Amino acid sequence: MLEMFEYDFMQRAFIAGIIIAVLASVSGTFVVLKRYSMISETLAHSALVGVAVALVAEFSPLWTAVVFAVLSAWLIEYLRSAFSLYSDAVLAILLSGSLAIAVIIVSLGGSFNNSLFSYLFGSILSVSSDDIIIIAIFGTISLAILLLFSKELYFIAYDEEVAKTSGIKVNRLNFLLASVVSIIIALSITIIGSLLIGALMVIPTVASLQYKVGFLKTMLLSLIFGLLSVTAGMIFSFYFSLPSGATIVLCVLFIFIISLIVNRKK
Amino acid sequence: MKFSVPIFDVKNLTFSIKGQTILSNISLEVFCSEYIAIIGPNGGGKTTLVRMLLGLETPTSGEIKIYGKKFSNFNEWHKIGYVPQRASLVDASFPATVLDIVKMGRTAKKQLFSFYGTEDEKAVYDAMSKMDILDLKEKMIGTLSGGQRQRVMIARALASKPDILILDEPNTGVDVASQKKFYTLLRKLNQEDKITIVFITHDIGVIADDIARLFTINQKAIICNNPKQLLSCEEMSELYGMDAHLLHLHKHRH
Repeated sequence: MLEMFEYDFMQRAFIAGIIIAVLASVSGTFVVLKRYSMISETLAHSALVGVAVALVAEFSPLWTAVVFAVLSAWLIEYLRSAFSLYSDAVLAILLSGSLAIAVIIVSLGGSFNNSLFSYLFGSILSVSSDDIIIIAIFGTISLAILLLFSKELYFIAYDEEVAKTSGIKVNRLNFLLASVVSIIIALSITIIGSLLIGALMVIPTVASLQYKVGFLKTMLLSLIFGLLSVTAGMIFSFYFSLPSGATIVLCVLFIFIISLIVNRKK
Repeated sequence: MKFSVPIFDVKNLTFSIKGQTILSNISLEVFCSEYIAIIGPNGGGKTTLVRMLLGLETPTSGEIKIYGKKFSNFNEWHKIGYVPQRASLVDASFPATVLDIVKMGRTAKKQLFSFYGTEDEKAVYDAMSKMDILDLKEKMIGTLSGGQRQRVMIARALASKPDILILDEPNTGVDVASQKKFYTLLRKLNQEDKITIVFITHDIGVIADDIARLFTINQKAIICNNPKQLLSCEEMSELYGMDAHLLHLHKHRH
């Protein structure tokens, strides 16, 4: 099995994959508990607009993906708080709108090709050393923010109104969480793909919720499931020449089904 | 004993939404160590009033002062414990032990970038001990009965060591035996720990002996300094219609 690590691109993909598994499962815990699972899909599609702009203008897709995902996260939070719109409706509008804009940009630029395809479904071959450095730096900052505000975010997820009445700055923290999640998603789409990153954020947490344990244990289980899925997914994808993102998602789905069966009587 | 500065000083408060007036020209004061009940028919504006006191709704006009400070200048929200209407109706699948929930009461007291310490732990255990839920601390919140969940939510509010506890019909989904225990706990908190209690309820009969003042709210407020007197007066019929009679009978049974 170690032969796969003889290739530089696999070493890079593994490092990036492990970082993303940690980030996606930890941030996913807060996202799922806030019943905001669809935000990951929406932000991933918004990040795709950034990728499309970068492909046409020949910038680094990672940076533009981050910028567009963060702007989209702020827009979602603004629409949610300033207008009395249903959260899921706001997410659905931005999701389809972003995808349409991305496709139009790439089509007009004449670059609807394999590059965009790799950002839709993920490609382990596309991870460069520069990408690893960026993912490591921004990933560490994002993780630190999530852990530092974990007790506030947990309270907000449980009862937003009571958290507000106790003096917690709920609106600011909602913006912060949406921003961090958008950065994590933008960093992840090179590996997992924008169509599949949502699964890596949501499914490990939903699987860990089946075990009916406290908050820290739920987050820890989610982390373990995320790491297992990414590791197994990359190995299978290498040996069976499968797309990395889809293989990772199938692995995490398998863990979810096992968790569901094991805990069906709890 | 009333302090010169009330905890809440509400003047001429009006709340309208989409052209409909929910509350009109409400004025009231809540003093330290008082036990106050707010009653009124459904849709009469009780919950709206409490939500405005807590900053969850913005009044159309009027003024609220907390500890003598204007609303925008007040930042000691940990002094106010809130138990909402749906307190016992929790999401059974949420990953939280009783300890996790009660700890939330300490969260707002923590500085940015700080974690729970010894003082927080003591406050959390004191609150659980007062609510008699220490033996439940490792239990998942979704596995508890309505009465147990209700005590957990009050323990969470008490963990911040509040001066005042605001309870918005917290008996929803709680059995009668647990409700009796709950009223005794509230009396103890008010009499022994000197915590001010503002209690929104329909069940005024069982706490009539404990409360100092009664606010009846149906768009407008009627303040009664002798709750037992109000239970027999005609204003209750105006406020509640047929329910006034039921309340009166209920009182005589206790």
